[in-house]
Amino acid sequence: MIVGHQKPIEEIKKMVKPYNKLLILGCGTCVKTCFAGGEDETAALASALRMAFKMDGVAMEINEQTVERQCENEFIQEAAKKIGENDAVLSLACGAGVQAMAKRFPKAPIYPGLNTTFMGIQESHGVFTEECLGCGNCGLGIFGAICPITRCSKKLLNGPCGGSQNGICEVDPSIECGWQQIIDRLKALGQLDNLRTYIPPKNWKTSHSGGPRKLVREDHII
Amino acid sequence: MENTTKAKITLFHCINAFTEKKSLSTDRVDVKIIKMPCSGMVTEVFLLKAFEAGADAVSIFVCPEGACRYTEGNIRAGKRMAKTRSVLDEIGVGGKRLTMHQVKPAEGANAEQIIAGILEELKALGPNPAA
Ligand code: SF4
Ligand code: SF4
Repeated sequence: MIVGHQKPIEEIKKMVKPYNKLLILGCGTCVKTCFAGGEDETAALASALRMAFKMDGVAMEINEQTVERQCENEFIQEAAKKIGENDAVLSLACGAGVQAMAKRFPKAPIYPGLNTTFMGIQESHGVFTEECLGCGNCGLGIFGAICPITRCSKKLLNGPCGGSQNGICEVDPSIECGWQQIIDRLKALGQLDNLRTYIPPKNWKTSHSGGPRKLVREDHII
Repeated sequence: MENTTKAKITLFHCINAFTEKKSLSTDRVDVKIIKMPCSGMVTEVFLLKAFEAGADAVSIFVCPEGACRYTEGNIRAGKRMAKTRSVLDEIGVGGKRLTMHQVKPAEGANAEQIIAGILEELKALGPNPAA
C-alpha cells in the first residue's frame, strides 16, 4: 500500500484560500488504510477547515466526496459531477492519485492534502513501515524476502556495515538493522549460504534513477 | 464566558459508564447528550462536528480504567481525544474545550459536578470562536 499523512492545516489553508467552493476528495483504498485520506479523514478535515475559515472570516463552501480509488479512471469518473460544481479540489489521495485527477480534469485546479511518504505495510494497527523502493529488479529471493535496499539505511547488498549493534542500525536507534533481520531470517530458513553469492553493484537504471518509468502491456491494449 | 449567554456542551457517553436519569441542562447550560454503546466508538469527526455545530465544550464520559466492557474502548477514546485536541489547537478553537472524564454508572450526581467544572473552565475560555 501507499502510505501518507495529512499536511498541516495551515499549509492546506494557504493552497485553497483563493477559492469559494472547495471539494475535498478522499480515496478509499491505501490512504484510507493508513488513516490519512478515507471517508472519515475527509469528513474530519472538512469540518476542521470549515471552522478554521469561519474564524478567519473567509466565506468558503466546503464539500466532500470519497471515491474508491483516485488512481483509476472508472472510479475517478464518479467524482466528475462534484468536481464540475466546485472551484477547486483538495485531493486526499497519494501523489499518483492527485496527478491522475489532474490528467482527467485538465481545467480543475487540484491540490494535494497529503504528504505521500512510502510504499509499505501496516506492521501493526497504527504502525506503518516502508518495505519497497520499487527498484525495478527485485532481489528479495536471495535475501530471505527482506529488502536490503529499503530496510538497510545504506542500501548495502553484501552484508551489514560495522555499525549494526544488537539488531539496531547505527544511523538512528529507532531503525532496526535490515541486515540483522535478513541474517536471522536466512538462518531460520536454512539459507544462510545465500550470502556467499557476491552481489555486484546494482544497476539503478531500472529504478527511478533511470528517469520516470512506464509499463506498457501490449496484450491489454486494443 | 458571560452568564448572560447559555453555554452549549455536547456530552458523548458510554451507556455502560453513565445513565442520565434527568436532563443535565439548566438555565446556564444546554447539554446535548449522545449515547454510545462504548466510548471507543467516538471518532475525531464526531468530536469536530460537535464543535462545528456550535458546542462551546465537548466531553466524553468513559468507564474507569480497567472497567471497559470491551477491554480498551476508554483507552481508544483517550487517544481520539488527544488527536482531536491537537486539531482544535491547530485551527484555533482550542483543545482545552474537549475533555474526558471517568464515571461509574452509580455516579449520576457526579455528572452534574463535572458539567459545573466545565462551565467554570468556559468562563476563562469564552464561547466557541467557530460557532
Ligand atoms: S529489491 Fe527492489 S523491488 Fe524488491 S523489495 Fe527491494 S526495492 Fe522493492
Ligand atoms: S546498521 Fe544495519 S541497517 Fe544500518 S546501515 Fe548498517 S547494515 Fe544497514
